[in-house]
Amino acid sequence: MTGTRSKSFVLWAIVWFDLILLSLPTIIIIGASFTTGDIVQFPPEGFSLKWYGKLWLLDDFKAAFFRTLYVSLICTAVSIPAGTLAAIGLARYRIHFQTSLQVYLLLPFTIPLVVSGLGMMIFFGDIRILGQLWPVGISLCIINLPFMIWAVSASVNGLDYQLENAAANCGAPPLQGFLTVTLPGVMPGVITGALLMFILAFNEFLVSLFLTDARTVTLPVSIYNSIRSVITPDLAAVSVVYIVIAFIAVLLLDKLVGLELFLKSK
Amino acid sequence: MTSVKQSSHFPIKWRLLDAAERVAALVWPRQLHSYTGYLLLVPALLLVFVLVIGLIYIGGYSLHELDLANYRLKESFSLTNYYTAVTSTTYRTVVLRSLYGSFLVTVITIFLAFPYAYLMVRAREAMTRKFLLISLFLPFFIGQIVRAYGWLIILGKEGLLNNIVTFFGFSPLELIYNYPAVILGLIQYMLPFAVLLLAPAITAINRDMELASESLGAHWIQTFIHIVLPMAKPGLIGSSVVVFTLTLTDFAMPEILGGGTTDFIANSIYDGFFQLSNSGLGAALSMILVTLGTAFVVVIFSIAGTGTLGFSRRSK
Repeated sequence: MTGTRSKSFVLWAIVWFDLILLSLPTIIIIGASFTTGDIVQFPPEGFSLKWYGKLWLLDDFKAAFFRTLYVSLICTAVSIPAGTLAAIGLARYRIHFQTSLQVYLLLPFTIPLVVSGLGMMIFFGDIRILGQLWPVGISLCIINLPFMIWAVSASVNGLDYQLENAAANCGAPPLQGFLTVTLPGVMPGVITGALLMFILAFNEFLVSLFLTDARTVTLPVSIYNSIRSVITPDLAAVSVVYIVIAFIAVLLLDKLVGLELFLKSK
Repeated sequence: MTSVKQSSHFPIKWRLLDAAERVAALVWPRQLHSYTGYLLLVPALLLVFVLVIGLIYIGGYSLHELDLANYRLKESFSLTNYYTAVTSTTYRTVVLRSLYGSFLVTVITIFLAFPYAYLMVRAREAMTRKFLLISLFLPFFIGQIVRAYGWLIILGKEGLLNNIVTFFGFSPLELIYNYPAVILGLIQYMLPFAVLLLAPAITAINRDMELASESLGAHWIQTFIHIVLPMAKPGLIGSSVVVFTLTLTDFAMPEILGGGTTDFIANSIYDGFFQLSNSGLGAALSMILVTLGTAFVVVIFSIAGTGTLGFSRRSK
């Protein structure tokens, strides 16, 4: 085996510190959401589910929740074809300016979110679609598109191209080869990417802050607005909704493709 | 001729596929097949083009000075906004604070992330690996706003830490709305990104290299410095670029945990647009931020390559 006892001690000490750092906010929020008191404090005052009960009575919360769901679904639905096709195009076809195109497709990452958000706010305002909900979904797809392309690229690069050649050799026309060989082969990447896109859109805050108004506010933006005023325990309950959704997404990702996928070397 | 007759006995799926194939051949004939790669890229290129349009708008705004008479941007072109942004000591402080913060967060995050990625990749038990993966993905999927809110409960006046402090008879501390709180929040936010970009690079390191180094008598720290770190270079590049640029351009953590006292560039841009109603100045600051971020990425990439950030193997 590699290493000594001191190695394992030092490394695990740092990792345990990481683990505390990573999970502390989550644990504290869950704890705070069960308080019986009217202010957020820790340790919580007593134990009750009253803030969860109140949650379902809040029409604002429910409306914001469903709006967030709606934009996240649009984001996912648009990014699946766009990202999958782009990843296959980049990995499987001879393309001029390959590097330039890659740099271009990384623009959503290299342009700061605050600038992307403002730019789209001005542009959407100019073509008079600002204030509607569907452009928010599209914008969330744009800013996170590299994640989708990444996820599918990993799968395409792992897929033996001889399979596609074999299909063509056996007489499969282009579309059939694509639909019955390439697409099923890259499915793990598509699923990973789609889940990532959904969860990132569900959490996205800054671009949504620019593109929504009081009528179209999404959940992360409304949490942000509440944080800036009085912090009440119902916010902790809302946050727990996020924690639960994140937990479901992690389990789903693990079940469908396995989290170990992210450890694979390129 | 019999084949035509037989085709009606084929399953519906086959006939549908054949029909789709004929439509595809009609819309995209064989002569165009060498361009199929470009066709597949079109939707993604168009989507990203929206950002280019946005950037052009911002660039345009930045060249018009605010007319204080009617609070609109003047028609005439000028570089006044850039001049104001560059010469103002307020903005210089903000830019330096953001750059320093990004540097600090990058160094600390990678220091914390490397052992995590290393142990996760090298874990012998599947359970350990799974535990580390889930602990990483859960906060990653919870998002910045909710996590910042968690820190507010921990660090706030009536928060967890102050409750502990007062329990032992000390007076409550000012733990929030300051620079360290922002840095802490950012490190916690960046940690999953860093680990996920480091892990593939560490996976690629052959374990025998470490064994060889240690069997030749190297201390594990020497092995780490001379074997593991250099071989993990693609991951170190990928994670530092992402952590640095995301921190440099972050808005939420300085806003929520800094409470207006420790603005980063993004906060100044926001204030330029919405507090000062000076979209020209905000746009000029935006362009400066884009330039700073791009310059950093370009310099790193041209020195060291794209690391774990490239889309395909060919990019290496």
